[in-house]
Amino acid sequence: MIGTARLPRRKILAAAGASAALPLLGRRAAAAEPIRIGWVGPLSPPGGYAEGTNMKNAATLAAEQVNAHGGVLGRPVEITYADTRGMPAEGRTAAERLVQQDKVVAVFGEFHSPVALAEMEVFHKYGTPFMACDVWSDQITAKGYPEVFRNAPAVSLIDVAIGQWMVAAGFKNVAIIAEKDDVGLAARTIVQQELTKAGVKYTAVDADPNLTDFTAQILRFKSTTPAYDFFISIYAEAGAYPMIRQAHDLGFAPTPTCGIYNSGGESVDPTFWQNVGEAGKYLVTENVGLPKAAWTDKTKSFVADYHKRYNADPSGAVMESYDGGWLLFDAIQRAGSTDAKAIIHALETTQYVGVRGQYSFSTSHEPAWHYHQFLNAPLTLLQYAETNQGQADAPIVWPRKFATVPYTYKKPGSA
Amino acid sequence: MRALTFGGGVLLLALIAAFPFLVNGYWLSVGVLAMFYAIVTASWALLAGYAGQFSFGHMAFVSLGAYTSGLLVKWFEIPVPLGIAAGVIMCGVVGSGVGFVGLRMRGPYLALFTVAFSEVLRIIFVSEVEITGGSGGLEVTPLFRTRSDMPFYYLGVILLAASLAIMQALVASRWGLFFRAIRENEDAAATAGVKVLRFRVLAFAIASAFAGLGGGFFGHYVGILTPDIGSVDQMGLVVAMAVIGGAESIVAATVGALGLEFLVEALRSYGQWRLVLFGALLLLTMRFARNGLLALGWTQVERFDPVRRMRRIIREAGE
Amino acid sequence: MTDYLLIQALNGLTIGIIYAVIAAGLTVIFSILKIVNFAHGEFYMMGGYFAYFAISLFSIPPLAAVLVAMLVSFALCVLAERTLLTPLYSPATERKGDYGILVTFGISIFLRNLALIIYGPYPLRPPSFFTGALIAGPFIMTWDRVFAGGAGIVMLIGLVVFLHRTPWGEALNAVSQSRESAAIVGINDQRFYMLAFGLGGALAGGAGALVGPIYSLSPSMGLIPDTQAFAIVILGGMGSVAGSILAGLLIGISESMFVALFPDPSRSLTYAQAFSLVILMIVLLVRPTGLFGRATTAME
Repeated sequence: MIGTARLPRRKILAAAGASAALPLLGRRAAAAEPIRIGWVGPLSPPGGYAEGTNMKNAATLAAEQVNAHGGVLGRPVEITYADTRGMPAEGRTAAERLVQQDKVVAVFGEFHSPVALAEMEVFHKYGTPFMACDVWSDQITAKGYPEVFRNAPAVSLIDVAIGQWMVAAGFKNVAIIAEKDDVGLAARTIVQQELTKAGVKYTAVDADPNLTDFTAQILRFKSTTPAYDFFISIYAEAGAYPMIRQAHDLGFAPTPTCGIYNSGGESVDPTFWQNVGEAGKYLVTENVGLPKAAWTDKTKSFVADYHKRYNADPSGAVMESYDGGWLLFDAIQRAGSTDAKAIIHALETTQYVGVRGQYSFSTSHEPAWHYHQFLNAPLTLLQYAETNQGQADAPIVWPRKFATVPYTYKKPGSA
Repeated sequence: MRALTFGGGVLLLALIAAFPFLVNGYWLSVGVLAMFYAIVTASWALLAGYAGQFSFGHMAFVSLGAYTSGLLVKWFEIPVPLGIAAGVIMCGVVGSGVGFVGLRMRGPYLALFTVAFSEVLRIIFVSEVEITGGSGGLEVTPLFRTRSDMPFYYLGVILLAASLAIMQALVASRWGLFFRAIRENEDAAATAGVKVLRFRVLAFAIASAFAGLGGGFFGHYVGILTPDIGSVDQMGLVVAMAVIGGAESIVAATVGALGLEFLVEALRSYGQWRLVLFGALLLLTMRFARNGLLALGWTQVERFDPVRRMRRIIREAGE
Repeated sequence: MTDYLLIQALNGLTIGIIYAVIAAGLTVIFSILKIVNFAHGEFYMMGGYFAYFAISLFSIPPLAAVLVAMLVSFALCVLAERTLLTPLYSPATERKGDYGILVTFGISIFLRNLALIIYGPYPLRPPSFFTGALIAGPFIMTWDRVFAGGAGIVMLIGLVVFLHRTPWGEALNAVSQSRESAAIVGINDQRFYMLAFGLGGALAGGAGALVGPIYSLSPSMGLIPDTQAFAIVILGGMGSVAGSILAGLLIGISESMFVALFPDPSRSLTYAQAFSLVILMIVLLVRPTGLFGRATTAME
């Protein structure tokens, strides 16, 4: 079982004796009433089902592992998966079903902010704890619902970092393509704020999430004077890969005079390198997982397990989903019960160490989005130096305290 | 047999009224959405199945009604029912515009035009992020701030019943006759003196207004609106519902919508396969039971009641 | 500036050729079967995946894979036609136009969702036909794009030659002009319907196979080309292959020019998508028979 509950002496002795028969305990746990936990996320279009599937896989792994060690509170964990398809109405229905029909004691997951916002209303209505994973909209925590926690960074955290990095790297004229949704817009706004503060010029273009051909737009950027020295795309859909490729093939970025960044496109999808090829070298992107140098044993074994099982490296979102499940398991265990309020209190006082480091959730409402937010969410920016390089091996360029290379940005063709 | 139908009807009504007390909150929420889909599907069946106007832009009116209401309530803080009414009127007006403009278009041309219209509207809603919130969603004031979905359910039932009553009255009237004439052969109808323009515009206006009603109801229920509700995929779902139920009968289409919405939820564990199943079901129905599954089922019922069958044959011969 | 516009135009031309191939397929289907194929985008998508798997599972070289994709698309479409479209030829079927719309719509839903399950969630990219790029002064275009354009032209020429110089093609033309007259002359239409639907699908599938390395493959990749193909076919005139070719090129170039020149950069990309749709709507309003369409394209 995880951790140790507070037991009277007699029981401790009994448990000590019983622990010798640990294998038997495991089997007994399987016979007990399971603890039901819900998972939400996109597993089909129009949602981002590629990453949703990855996150679901992580959740499955977490459940299997905890059950292999006797479950939670001596009971096996059973995860019910709900495909929310990237649509708020589906999210709402799924949330209702998880609580009312499947009788889950807590929920984690989600990849699309508007869907999470719709689900939250239902969880708030029923008081069910919800650990929001890869959703970045500030609104999610800013609403101040006690049931809602988030273990991913908020837009306010991520894009300030990106903006600051661009300034530090010395770029002066930036071209931006942003996805036309809540997160893309918010991200773009924050990046623009940072750039404006430092006097860096930029041009922003918004794009429909379904596009795959950016050639005309890239050509337009390329022909603009004064020339851009950096191209950032805030784009998480399937079109991110062709975009990166097209920018490269057209000789726009990366070049010795113009760098490239992509935020949101999952550079650890098994097909990332197949899709972008040469164009991925010198690409800068963010990682919401821990930098390799800071990996704990837990991180290492998780990465190994995930790789063995799914033949891919886990992305930051995958790690968030995995830790999301474990945060709930840990909270329930420490609370000693599946009562919602007890779980919420346990989460507020958590010090769980997961594959992304040690967690803690703020209880401050200043600013609003700090509430139940994991403020120390890891965030590093990396720049690929070789094709087919794993995300964990790519040189980290920001923040400087985690950097694994002396440069902030490496120009293609330089030594 | 008549007593059986009457008894069956009473039972059905009782079930509908008691539904929220028989199921948990989840199935209740499914019920609310089923009401929404029923209103939208029935009005599409009226337009495409009954009046023969093949419009694939129906979901565009759903989203237009929803966004109109949501934005008006947000900007001017008018009461929600007023917002929904405004959405209905907006859709009626724009719908008549589409009907008018599409006058010279037949069959697939009209379908293509309305697909294009629907997509353009969706793109506008995605693009004008400052106004609509784009794909990130627009927060919409809920109609009722209650813990349970019951008020939404009952309102949905009332709206559906009212919509069906109005549409059925239309169908049973002389206007219904004109719609059918236009559907069968527009040129012949025109020659016979039917004012084709007037009725096409009317059909579009009414159907679009109902779509807008559904949209307003939907928006103020879910609380977050995204442009996807107006997508071609959603349209496909409604088409499937209407065709499988029976596109030429408003009641059959309604049953199709209710049935399929519940089926979609019941088959949730099959994930993506549900939609494959729907597509297959749509194809099979079109191929082998063009008038819809309900009509197919009804003919089976008729086996036990030859009087009913005779009555139907006589009625159809007179149409 | 003229350099830049020229580059944009050439880029648009290549895209336009691909559009033209897709649209030509749609036109062939419409001319013979008199239905609008709402599943055309899905045939395009399937073609792309067929090529991908031909290469990855059977080690067929990329160039040959395009042909394989076209053949498999042809077979798939003939199958669909035989199982689902035969009611179109029976006098008992009412309102054939509506039937065609609904059935092809259903095929589209079915195929798209099936593809999602079979092909999985990650975008796939078949290997390039030719690596590297053609560089001439300020002009850059990857060889894959050049090849796609060239192969597209070959397909279009092949189609035109087939339609006007071979007995089967001429028979197809005859059937498209008038079903009854063709029957009188002794042309058995059933086989021609199969041929037409298969040919249309093969063209779409071939286009999909050509763009795989350029755009990557995903199950919903057919949605956008679908609506564009409709716009092109309407612009060019339903039933005119020459018209759809010209219209395809026109729309391809115009779309690029739109993005190139639209003053508001924050909207140019999103509204570019609406561009072909608006054209479609305008043409339908002003001249429903399109640029080259025959004035009496009756639907039976």
